[in-house]
Amino acid sequence: MTTEQAPAKAPEGPPPVGPYGQFLKEHGIESKRLPDSRGVGGQIENIEVDRKDLEAAVRFLRNDSEVGLDLLLTVSGVETNDTFDSVYHLWSYSSKNELVVKAVVAKTECVDDKLPMVPSIAQFWKTANWHERETYDLMGIRYLGHPYLRRILNPWDWEGYPLRRDYKQPIDALNDKNPHSFR
Amino acid sequence: MSEDNNSQTSPVVPEELKESVTLWNMEAAIEQLLNKLNPVASAIIDPIANLARANSVWPLTFGTSCCAIEMMSVGMSKFDISRFGSEVFRATPRQADMILTAGTITRKMAPALITLYEQMPEPKYVIAMGACTVTGGMFNDSYSVVQGVDRIIPVDVYLPGCPPRPEGILDALLKLQQKIRTESYVSRNNRKYEQTSVRRVDYDTGRPIEDLINEAKLDTAVVISGTGVLDHATKREAKSNA
Repeated sequence: MTTEQAPAKAPEGPPPVGPYGQFLKEHGIESKRLPDSRGVGGQIENIEVDRKDLEAAVRFLRNDSEVGLDLLLTVSGVETNDTFDSVYHLWSYSSKNELVVKAVVAKTECVDDKLPMVPSIAQFWKTANWHERETYDLMGIRYLGHPYLRRILNPWDWEGYPLRRDYKQPIDALNDKNPHSFR
Repeated sequence: MSEDNNSQTSPVVPEELKESVTLWNMEAAIEQLLNKLNPVASAIIDPIANLARANSVWPLTFGTSCCAIEMMSVGMSKFDISRFGSEVFRATPRQADMILTAGTITRKMAPALITLYEQMPEPKYVIAMGACTVTGGMFNDSYSVVQGVDRIIPVDVYLPGCPPRPEGILDALLKLQQKIRTESYVSRNNRKYEQTSVRRVDYDTGRPIEDLINEAKLDTAVVISGTGVLDHATKREAKSNA
């Protein structure tokens, strides 16, 4: 405890291409490396892939015999100040490695209540079916090519996407502050 | 719409049919008779009936969250709700007297809870069990949780706690029994229950249930028109014109 190590200084410039980014580059798919996240077994590589390359990238990562990221852990949606991200966590049974792939849609595309559109990967993993429905339900990301893109948690006639930043729930008899209740 | 409802409850007999047609609303007549008899009869019947009711409050098996665990516990031998005559958890609302709303009621669950409540035969009682069903609890301002179950069904006893101890459930039951013993049948009969909070939607057509019911009433209503002919078509025409 006497010698306190200074935290490692973050390197200048964009981070170098990681092993999975290199693999995708060899197959002709451009990716952008994001800062690593910390997982149980060490650092996890985060990459950002263009939307139109997402299906091809996922197919390569899943089917390659050496990389073999054959398990889809989760699909999630993230809203930042100016983007909607669709985040995929992939995992390999053989090498126990994890990879985070992000598909980013700028908010400038989503004018006039148009939903951000991302290709569906439900054809590769059955897991993605319900996960993408949930992301659609709560975050409002439309997955193109999904077999049954309906709301899964909220009632089917729900209006709006509750986990968005600008979501305001209309006041009705179930949540108003001055209830006309039986109290 | 209001005119239609009025004409349906009290149809008007045209002049030329007055001699041959008498309309007698039997239900209304019975209700009037009972209202006259009730204050007398209830003074004798109420104490006996209430004693029987209070000691056999059969709850409905209904649990949506962790409160249901405490509800199961109170049904088992350690706390033993059968000491108070409530051990018979019914699996159907048609045989139940009381519903313990054990757990969070979401907006998706609310129509189902109302359906269950409306299927229970009178007299029926509600114990709002747990913080979620009393005020919304820790789901205050949540987008998906009903902020207190008393917004959708009338509540007799509020039982706070997260979840309440089994002794709390027994105490709520005793308070409910006290309420049942002292209540008057007439006053209970006059209490009205109107359902307005939840918009129920037909899943086939996507239209509100109320609209469909009104439409069906319009289509099946028997109208005695000015010509003395039972006429279904005039109503439909009137509807389409409007």
